[in-house]
Amino acid sequence: MKTSLLRSVALAATLMAALPAGAQAQDKPSEIVWGDTLPKGLDPHVVYDVPMQFILLNNYDGLFRYVGNPPELQPWLAEGYEVSDDALTWTITLKPDVTFHDGSALTADDVVYSFKRLLEMGQGPSGAFKPVLKPDNVTKVDDLTVQFVLDKPYTPFLAALPLVAIVNEDLVKEHEKDGDWGAEWLASNEAGSGAYSIDPSTYRPQENVDMMRFEDHFYGWDDNANPVDIVRAAPVKETSTRVLALIRGDIDATDSYLPTDQVERVEKADGVHVAQDESMRVMLIRMNNQRPPFDNKNFRKCVSHAFNYDGFISIILKDYAIRNAGPIPNNLWGAPADLEPYSYDIEKAKEFCDAARAEGADLDRPMEIQIQSALDQTTQSAQLLQAGFQELGLTLNLVPSTWAQLTTDAASVETTPDMWVHWVSTYFVDPENWIGQMYDSQFHGTWKASSWYQNDKVDELLREARAETDQSKRATLYEEASRIVVEDAADVWIYNTVQLRGLSDKVQGYKFSPVGSGGDIRWISIED
Amino acid sequence: MFRFVLRRILLMVPVLFGLLLLTFVMLQMVPGDPAATLAGENATPEQIAEIRQKFGFDDPIVVQFGRYLGQIAQGDFGVSAYSRRPVGDDIVLRLPATLELTLVALGIAAVGGILVGTLAAVWHNSPFDHGVRILSVAGLAVASFWFAIMLQMLFAMELDWLPLRGRLPTGLAAPPDVTGLYLVDSLVAGQFGTFWQALQHLILPAFTLSLGGLATIARFTRSSIIETMQRDFVTYEEAVGYPKRRIILPYVLRNSLVSPVTQIGLLFGQLIAGAVVVESIFDWPGLGSYLVEAIFTSDYKAILAVTLVVGVIYAAVNIVVDLIHGIIDPRVADQM
Repeated sequence: MKTSLLRSVALAATLMAALPAGAQAQDKPSEIVWGDTLPKGLDPHVVYDVPMQFILLNNYDGLFRYVGNPPELQPWLAEGYEVSDDALTWTITLKPDVTFHDGSALTADDVVYSFKRLLEMGQGPSGAFKPVLKPDNVTKVDDLTVQFVLDKPYTPFLAALPLVAIVNEDLVKEHEKDGDWGAEWLASNEAGSGAYSIDPSTYRPQENVDMMRFEDHFYGWDDNANPVDIVRAAPVKETSTRVLALIRGDIDATDSYLPTDQVERVEKADGVHVAQDESMRVMLIRMNNQRPPFDNKNFRKCVSHAFNYDGFISIILKDYAIRNAGPIPNNLWGAPADLEPYSYDIEKAKEFCDAARAEGADLDRPMEIQIQSALDQTTQSAQLLQAGFQELGLTLNLVPSTWAQLTTDAASVETTPDMWVHWVSTYFVDPENWIGQMYDSQFHGTWKASSWYQNDKVDELLREARAETDQSKRATLYEEASRIVVEDAADVWIYNTVQLRGLSDKVQGYKFSPVGSGGDIRWISIED
Repeated sequence: MFRFVLRRILLMVPVLFGLLLLTFVMLQMVPGDPAATLAGENATPEQIAEIRQKFGFDDPIVVQFGRYLGQIAQGDFGVSAYSRRPVGDDIVLRLPATLELTLVALGIAAVGGILVGTLAAVWHNSPFDHGVRILSVAGLAVASFWFAIMLQMLFAMELDWLPLRGRLPTGLAAPPDVTGLYLVDSLVAGQFGTFWQALQHLILPAFTLSLGGLATIARFTRSSIIETMQRDFVTYEEAVGYPKRRIILPYVLRNSLVSPVTQIGLLFGQLIAGAVVVESIFDWPGLGSYLVEAIFTSDYKAILAVTLVVGVIYAAVNIVVDLIHGIIDPRVADQM
């Protein structure tokens, strides 16, 4: 403990010395308490979930980064890139003079090491690259140039690059133990070059971590006159506590999933407000397309007309959501603008049910929908669908489950439930993240493709889109695939999320991006 | 006495072995594939299979259990496959928080329960007694999360007397680590400001946690004292003309405490279990919230470690309770 105390003092001293003269004159570094969820560990090549985006965006840099809403893919550590005509060889040049938090230079070696580490360990976001990239095919051309040779054309490669944190090779290697790629050390420490550095002595998993502004960050701070010097990340787990803590001023930001019934309460309180941003996170009810009666298209259309979309969005979500007609978020290219959403229409549903019966579908067995007990909306939506089923004289039972169970069940047709409810969040901004991985039959067995939807034409379109480098041509392919999937009523698509984050009024310049849900602190200014 | 303690400690070994085995087998039966959770988004079935092999999830259960026991025997809880942090480190960070919360809650429940129960018995059938009985039932019936939120609204929001969440204000450094119990460590370090903060942060969660136990102990104490007061020796002492207070404290209370003390021992286990809810509401960084996260992410090593640690504490408390029985009632001590 003595060493960590000393380290804290040293860090504080370094920080004070690093602060611009103006900030020192204000005698105290500015700080905020960020009440969003923290990941279970700090290693960005191991943990891969929405909370990890916070660590990834603030403590690490990637070759590219998403900024703003709609998210724009910007070269970040990269200065530029070239791609061969066959879309297989990607050459990326790096910005010069980028340094890690320990002062050492970030070079092509670190990039190569980071990708090898990710691919060899096989966890975290490696799934986005493993099918197309072998560890040995990431090579250094010179100190500032890296080359990636893909096994097959894969255009979403660029869009997925922001997922990969570039770590300090020398620092991580120093802490390797029994060939663990330094994973045990990096789980509680940090080896990045990002805008904020972690004070490891303050790190308590899922409870607290303090971050100090990195004055020498390559991007500079010219565009932010009054950045935050210290970010104390302290998640508040319980919704009610979270809202009270914000109103009391204990925290300056909640997570971005504020329940809709709390928005008015926060807006009414002094000194705080709610930031509302359309995201790219689609909620849907899955159907096991290969299990009777869900293998019958007319029955799936019947289900699609039995859900009260407007009731759910306007009454339960108080209109803090946007109806989404298909699998691709409305606000992303590739989503057809003319797509007609399914409507809540029990008469139509009855007609489709009758047609399904006429085709021999057995609708009399009790059907099941799995919900995630910890997430209220999954229960509410399932209950609403249950009411629709009742009007049709069908039986739908709610079965509580967990995410871990659902993802396991999705491994085979037999274990995948009749129906289940979930969201597809933004990990990278490309239709591949949604329709590509949800309805291409090569992904059967993963939770994203858990509808077990099979359509050769759709497979063909999605595979062609994946290899095409011209975005307008890709958009056309995705639009066509979307129309088919929606006509086939593969699932019940409900809405695209509006992210709701409670913020203190002193937090200015909050820049939301669907990737990372606005957790990128470098843009934030502090106003007292 | 020494042999009694030794025998009980040796008995703990098979009990804990059974507990671990049971948990281990149950974890295998629970749906949810840790490999799939680890592999994360976009993982292919091949990738999941690779991870399953790498972490030994596909070995026969006997092999997995044997490997785990070997690790535990060396005092190693292993590394969480999910976060890659050593589970032992997490337990060391989390356990003191739960112990501090539980011990203070136990203290409130025991002292408060015995006091209220005794007074209710002394003023048997008075309005106070009726009030205690009604509150005892209410204390058991009220959901702790509801009670917690009410306390937060009143004492943190309306009156602003007490903090809302956490163990210390955000940004205030924890006292130098000696026991991990902030109340103790801050005193040892002479950081009285930190002590005061830690104490304030403890009040709401500890009181919430203690409520059910307080009600139980009050009821047991009350009925136990009423029963004792009807015994011959009390009647004799009253007949001789002893004042009531001189009978209650030295004679009746001592004879009545065996049952409440047993309850307190059992309560300790219940409090650790109840801490799951309270820790979540008050952001108390203890084992309860750690366990919940571990369950949601199928983090087997973490689940097993918490089970083992809680099992050891529970068994140890039971030994202590038996020893206290011996002190209160010499007839029990003779049998030890």
